[in-house]
Amino acid sequence: MSETMMIFGGWVAAGLTIFLFSFLYKDNPFFKIAEHLFLGAGMGWVFQTVLFKTWIPKVWMPLTQAPYDFSVLIPALLGLSLVTQFFPKISWVSRYGFTFIMGYGSGLVIPLTISTDFLNQIGGTLTPFMVTSFAGNWLQLLNGSIIAVGFICVLFYFFFSVEHKGAVKKASTVGIYFLMLYFGAAFGNTVMGRFSLLYGRFDDLYKYSGGKYFYATHVILAVLVIYFIVDHFRTKKPAIEEEAA
Amino acid sequence: MKNFIEKLLKIDRRLIFLTLTLLLFIPIVRPLGLPNKNIGTEVKGLYDRIESLPPGSFILLSIDYDPGTRPELHPQAIAVLRHAFRKDLRVGMLTLIAGATGLVEELAERIPKDIAPDKVYGKDYVILPYQPNPAAVMTQVGMDLYKIYDTDRNGLPIKDMEVMKGIRNVKDMGLGICITGTALLDSWVALTGDRYKFPFAGGCTAVSQMGYAPYLQTGQLKGLMGGMKGAADYEGLIGHKEKGTSGIDALNLAHLMVIGLIVMANIMMLWLKYL
Repeated sequence: MSETMMIFGGWVAAGLTIFLFSFLYKDNPFFKIAEHLFLGAGMGWVFQTVLFKTWIPKVWMPLTQAPYDFSVLIPALLGLSLVTQFFPKISWVSRYGFTFIMGYGSGLVIPLTISTDFLNQIGGTLTPFMVTSFAGNWLQLLNGSIIAVGFICVLFYFFFSVEHKGAVKKASTVGIYFLMLYFGAAFGNTVMGRFSLLYGRFDDLYKYSGGKYFYATHVILAVLVIYFIVDHFRTKKPAIEEEAA
Repeated sequence: MKNFIEKLLKIDRRLIFLTLTLLLFIPIVRPLGLPNKNIGTEVKGLYDRIESLPPGSFILLSIDYDPGTRPELHPQAIAVLRHAFRKDLRVGMLTLIAGATGLVEELAERIPKDIAPDKVYGKDYVILPYQPNPAAVMTQVGMDLYKIYDTDRNGLPIKDMEVMKGIRNVKDMGLGICITGTALLDSWVALTGDRYKFPFAGGCTAVSQMGYAPYLQTGQLKGLMGGMKGAADYEGLIGHKEKGTSGIDALNLAHLMVIGLIVMANIMMLWLKYL
């Protein structure tokens, strides 16, 4: 990447980051620009990646260059049939593509999901109890018991075919506590994740604030602050009007 | 006192944003070097797995994150690459996310620059092109990967490359790792790991870390790095501190602020209610 493009990239990255963060102060046109650019640029990137890295090497080149391979027409046409959804008169053609996707997807995923997320997990819950002696394994047994109890109680909470009263109610209440523990841990991790992302953006802003990037962060931040000051005085209602309101 | 607390509870939230900004910026400008002493067992699991592989083993590294989750996952990918190259392992990198192609290029630029300058492209590592339809890739690499990856990202045939010597499918590989901010790790476990008995590990965002605990318990995942903390742990284990470790300073300060605010707000609410 050339030096000029790197500096330009730094300015764009710093600018868009600051524009998006400016929403925390209040809504403004810079935020709107960044918001729309994000969606457009994201779609544009995916489109060009699929076009140049998949469509041309996997479809166009086998059809136009020796050794020719016309079998690629079958998946290509099935894929293209999905686009007919946009034309009501021939939208029925898309069913062929969808039929293939549904059949292929279901056939592949259903058996594997049953094995990976169902049978293996039941096995994983029972495994800690597969010991020949208590000695030396009591910690593993205790851990396994907590998981097994939590697992069964949470299942009771989601079992709606019997009224939740008596022993079932007690089990489902214990299940709620296990769920709350999970949600608490998940929320804590979510907070940490969001801070990490924020840190990442700040780290980049710091990088672009250097002389190498001609102080992109400082300049853009200053421009935005000036905009907000001007905007504040421009939109401020006259005192008499405010009193009347 | 009551009036003061009521005013404090109605504080402009933008002041909290500003405080948070300052707290996160301080360690970036001046690193504090706060210790990271609590290394996760699941991160150690991945480290040990790579340590146990004999030199020359092949690792399949799926880089499946886009710029949105870059701060958490990029340090993980760099740390794993650094460790793998240090152990003289062969690495095959690929991506199943269109938004990750730029990040893969960034890694490709960094490998000869500072991650592993002595490693040669085509001999020690290869970068495979982006492929759509992850399910097709995951099942195909289990059978014959050349049927879906005949060339590398530059269009060069990979079958004759030294790095691919003796590699036809995942049975010939030592470990698979998927670093992702999506649910692709689940698919790798189901479609490749479990199906072909292929040892698999992962790296994920902190948000999705909890969801992978069952896979760790059953051994379906051999190790897992979660978020920036996972990256910091791994950097600590390989003894090369980078972005993950420096991020821990910022996270510690931010977490302290959140804990402080929660405790303070609760005390104030109790004060207003009972005193």
